[in-house]
Amino acid sequence: MSKKLRRILSVLLISIMLLSLFGCGQEPEAEEPDGGDVGEEGAIRIGFFAPVTGPAAADGLSTTNSAELAVDIINEQGGINGRLVELVKYDDGFDTKQAVNIAQKLITKDDVVAVVSGSYSGPTRVSAPIFQEAGMPMLAGYAVHPEVTGAGDFIFSQSFAGAVQGKAAAKVAVEMLEKKRISIIAVDVDFGKELSESFTEYAEARGAEVVSVDKVAMSDLEFTPIITKLKEEIKPDLIYMANYYEHSAEIARQVKKMGLDVPLIGTEGADSFQFLEIAGEDAEGIIITTNMNRDSEDQGTQDFIKNYIERYGIKPDMVGASVYDAFQVLFKVIGDVGTDNEAIKDAIANLTDFETVTGKLIRYASSRNAIKPVQLQIVEDGEFRFYGEIDDEEIIKQ
Amino acid sequence: MLLQQIINGIMMGSVYALTAMGATLVYGILRILDIANAGAYAVGAYLGWYIYKVTGNLFIAFIFSMILTGLIGVIIQKFIYYPIISKPNIIPIVPLITSVGLFTLTGDLIRLIAGPSVKNYNFKFETDVIKFGKIIIKPEWIFVLLLTAALLALLWYVLNKTKLGLAWKATAIDAEMAKAMGVNINMSMALSYILGYGFAAAAGIMVGILYNSIVPAMGDVPSYKMLAIIVLGGLGNPIGTVVAGLLIGLAETMSAVYIGSFMPRDAIAFIFLIIVLIVKPEGLITKKSA
Repeated sequence: MSKKLRRILSVLLISIMLLSLFGCGQEPEAEEPDGGDVGEEGAIRIGFFAPVTGPAAADGLSTTNSAELAVDIINEQGGINGRLVELVKYDDGFDTKQAVNIAQKLITKDDVVAVVSGSYSGPTRVSAPIFQEAGMPMLAGYAVHPEVTGAGDFIFSQSFAGAVQGKAAAKVAVEMLEKKRISIIAVDVDFGKELSESFTEYAEARGAEVVSVDKVAMSDLEFTPIITKLKEEIKPDLIYMANYYEHSAEIARQVKKMGLDVPLIGTEGADSFQFLEIAGEDAEGIIITTNMNRDSEDQGTQDFIKNYIERYGIKPDMVGASVYDAFQVLFKVIGDVGTDNEAIKDAIANLTDFETVTGKLIRYASSRNAIKPVQLQIVEDGEFRFYGEIDDEEIIKQ
Repeated sequence: MLLQQIINGIMMGSVYALTAMGATLVYGILRILDIANAGAYAVGAYLGWYIYKVTGNLFIAFIFSMILTGLIGVIIQKFIYYPIISKPNIIPIVPLITSVGLFTLTGDLIRLIAGPSVKNYNFKFETDVIKFGKIIIKPEWIFVLLLTAALLALLWYVLNKTKLGLAWKATAIDAEMAKAMGVNINMSMALSYILGYGFAAAAGIMVGILYNSIVPAMGDVPSYKMLAIIVLGGLGNPIGTVVAGLLIGLAETMSAVYIGSFMPRDAIAFIFLIIVLIVKPEGLITKKSA
């Protein structure tokens, strides 16, 4: 190879590389919207951000899919009161610094009427105070940390408060399955901490004992040492997996291998086709607490599942469904009260008995988290199926 | 339980050793801390996955993924690292930054090409577990051990029984002198990348099978953890890397079980590293015994 060619090639490769390196630190740029006509007078602009790149990219894709689906469907139906909807979407890369930049941009430059977060608690909770300050309504799809809605009266969450799910899981373990010695394996982030604490509180108040709590880092996939300890010393009669799908799937696989034969209960974090794919037959019989009931008789839910599979070729998951719902709520209230920020906020706060694809939204609690029944799903023949529903006021009205 | 936990720790350790081996070989000869080796680990896992899905043969997946990833390594060495390190008076941080850039690039390229969702090998072993009384051994662990042993044997053979290996060792000791004596040091560098990236690919596939999942960001933890292991192992010393990998595997297992989760498990490798560097700054094993 000639020296010149070699030089050209190396310059080329290095520039690609540098581009990718600097790409990480750049000011976020909104992508060209897919829904609505760009720049058309009168389009209603809704802001959206999700972790499309980085370690949570699979959830970013799922929620972005849902956001685009929701906007496209409303536009196919003629928009909201004749005005098309335009999605202004950003990638936060699962990075809180990016999320702050995005929030500022959405407020100052993008002329949006409301925002939906398709991201985790971290990026959502740092942007929430910025939206609150600016009087911009934000609906978080599935971020559970209390500080998200704690930012103020403009911030709502489609998700139950974390404690709702922890208690619902404890009810399944202690009252439905009648287990007494429970071990918890929790992911060491806000989500795992809150769920394991609320689970423990509810379970211990009802006479069960939480015999061990092991916290594991997000990146950790090896549970054999912990499972060996549980099997030989702790001897629990149930394991609560307060974590996301990668952890839950590995626990399911490794528990079977190590011969620890106890029931497993998971969270909405395991509500993903990816959980079923990784765990395979070891997922059979696992019960999770979530908000989407695949076997729902509600037409809206079945249409959502059908449209999603048709368009993307994969099954929708909890995060996607929750974000879809956030858009349905916004479409509804904008249709009712128009695009004034203050009016949107009030209309969301006063919304009652609204059918969503994740069950009936009874209303928003004083914490501005959605109040809706907790769905119990069980894995049967490689699919999530209906197992039960928890609507005890004491649990769901947090 | 202690015996079972020691076995657990050794198994985790051999996965670490295998994962860090690629970067060890590259450092051994080029003195580059090649973070991008963790990128090769992810690329190898994905190439292996595609080949396995097409051929249904895991052996072919291993061989071809290792060869292809090794060739990518040679191309990167030739067109990126070589022009950089052959400049006179280059400061050592430049190749390091380059490798960080390359690593970031690979993660994003994989995501753009293969998508962000988990891919699964779904490889099933003949038996689920092997039992010796109360002790349980997973077949995939034996597979990891055999693979690590086979790769180390291959490494030993190439380094000690071939002319290429002799040239490699001469280059590792003193590249200038080796060049003056007529050793083709470009060949030695290419060899260390073929082996280094090939080993990373094998480790990536192995971990993909072990946890039945590969994701574009799978190299993130190895990218920094392997640094702790290769520094602990005496920088560029393959035997040292094996010892360091095993020690860290054991330390993590024991602390997860007996101390509990007061800190992230990944931190243990670095605490271990800091202690060793204070007591023995040259790393655990310093003699060049490849």
